[in-house]
Amino acid sequence: MKRTVMALLVTLMVPASLWAISAEDIIKKLEKNTVTKTARIDGVMIINDRFGIKRSTFISYARGADTMLIEFTSVEEEGMKILRTRDEIYLFYPDAEELIRMQGAALKESVMGSDMSYEDMTGGRTLLQSYKVKLEGTEEIDGAPCYKVSMEAKKKGVPYYKQIMWIDKELFIYRKIHKFSRSGKLLKEIICDDVRQVSGKNIAFHMVLKDTMKRNSSTEFVINDIQINIPLKASIFSLEELTW
Amino acid sequence: MKFLLGLALKNLSRYKKRTIITAAAIAVGLGIYIFIDAWLLGAEMESERNLIWYESSSARVLNESYWEEKDQLPLKYVIENPEEVTVRLQELKIPAAPRTVFGGELIVREDPFEQDGSMQVKIFSIDPEQDNTVFRFRETIVKGRYLKPGEEGILIGSWLAEDLGAEVGYPLTIVTRTRHGYYQIIDVEIVGIINCPNPSINRGAIFLPLDTADTYLEMQGAVTEINLKFPERSDAEMLAASIEEKLIEDFKGIEILSWKILARDYVAFAAMKQSGTRMILFLVFIIAAVGVSNTMLMAIYERFRELGMMRALGMKDSQVRLTFLFEAGGIGFIGSVFGVMLGCILCLWIVNRGVDYSAMIRDMDIGYRVTGIMRGAWHPKALVIAFFLGIILSVVTAFFPTRRALKMTITDCLRFQ
Repeated sequence: MKRTVMALLVTLMVPASLWAISAEDIIKKLEKNTVTKTARIDGVMIINDRFGIKRSTFISYARGADTMLIEFTSVEEEGMKILRTRDEIYLFYPDAEELIRMQGAALKESVMGSDMSYEDMTGGRTLLQSYKVKLEGTEEIDGAPCYKVSMEAKKKGVPYYKQIMWIDKELFIYRKIHKFSRSGKLLKEIICDDVRQVSGKNIAFHMVLKDTMKRNSSTEFVINDIQINIPLKASIFSLEELTW
Repeated sequence: MKFLLGLALKNLSRYKKRTIITAAAIAVGLGIYIFIDAWLLGAEMESERNLIWYESSSARVLNESYWEEKDQLPLKYVIENPEEVTVRLQELKIPAAPRTVFGGELIVREDPFEQDGSMQVKIFSIDPEQDNTVFRFRETIVKGRYLKPGEEGILIGSWLAEDLGAEVGYPLTIVTRTRHGYYQIIDVEIVGIINCPNPSINRGAIFLPLDTADTYLEMQGAVTEINLKFPERSDAEMLAASIEEKLIEDFKGIEILSWKILARDYVAFAAMKQSGTRMILFLVFIIAAVGVSNTMLMAIYERFRELGMMRALGMKDSQVRLTFLFEAGGIGFIGSVFGVMLGCILCLWIVNRGVDYSAMIRDMDIGYRVTGIMRGAWHPKALVIAFFLGIILSVVTAFFPTRRALKMTITDCLRFQ
């Protein structure tokens, strides 16, 4: 009797483990979907805070996962540029004609008063290089079934010790991210929606970022137009080009 | 010689009005010089003392890589074994206080504060007991109480508290990074407000217990600095170098920097101020010198005829010159005596009462580490200098017109109008 029960259990469990997707696979699929060779985005950053609503338009160019240039085009910030390379972040203010390398405490400052810090823009390593991942189960976010993946830092130097991502089961795009402090307090929340397919990639055209330390404040990113895997000159991401 | 001295003295008493006016000009000039010198010296001394007592300490033990990146307040260059270093320092009879200094964003929220807001701050995590052997913050609490080990409480500078509208018991949040670079949130409560004589502390300092910071920042017992207290008026640079020599054998990778290096911005500023001070004193001196010269010149010129008569009666030129120089020296002496007295009276006031600058310093950083009342300090050297300066200056300014008179013929002197 005992043997029969054991055999039945094994028979039931084997297919499940064979078909189950691991947290690592989910992250790999997510990164495969979100990372593009090159991209050009025409978008708007909308900052909602106690001072009101502020809209800043921008054009961003990206190459791979770690190189990006954002150039603001709205009247107030026209010509201001942010260049992210693998290890550095540079700012260029056209009025002052000054190039600033962001480092140390300056990285914690918010990008133009938004809920995003310069540090949030730093990258370089893939999630699996920096975090131990664990599949916590599945949950629905705005009606979309998602994998709930928790991540704990395995390397020093990453800003967030713990993150939880809700990754769309079908589209492999994150619907929600929670970023936590070392002591486990929620620091930032990112919610993505308006997912559309562009050149075979699923892209969220609307993203809301909330810094939980700031009440009544959020920053929205809206993509107006996106072009993927287009030829981009390497010089776009150079310091020389940044000051032009 | 005795005759000449007697003649000079008689001349002084004969022309009382002139003697008094000339001596008074010298006395006022010297009195102002002494007063300003004492005032600026007092501000400088008090500022230096407040810097050492509340900000820099006499010297600091640091990881040898820390200083280059000090502006980033890095937690990666630390002293791993502060207890061993402290014990060794205590064996050398040097009071020592470990601290971990880090940067963070201070977040305040509406209710109890007036409105939401945040600002970048520098946080000093201190051992509540040991810190008092080097610094003097316990006595500067104006509201609430001093820190207790292990609590999630902070002390905050009084001006910062005023700016934030903070009171004892108000909650605050500090967002910072741990030693390993992870974001960390520390929720704290204000347990005390400090108002110390150092404006830079009142303006923005926050103090947290060292063990609390150690847990939150994952320091594992390491600290960023150990502050040392040397006897007052000791040569901090020399002492720091000699202690470093003794410690370096057992503790590799550390260095000891004296307050003159730690506060080099202040030292450079003080040096700049000193040259400014010298300039002010020079101007005061010039004003006094011009006054003295003018009255002495007038005194000599109006006596050209008398001088000619003395020569006509058979006095040698050298004797006439000496008589006039003695007379000028006498006026200088009287002026110096009264000038030093006037200076001392003014110094008594500035040393004991001082001038209240609190309203100005609250809103403006003048560089000096002095809040409120700026007091002067006695400077015996300046009294001696002023005294002899008064006499020498009078003699020198009398020399030239006398020489001119002696170059003239006796008849020209007698006809001089």
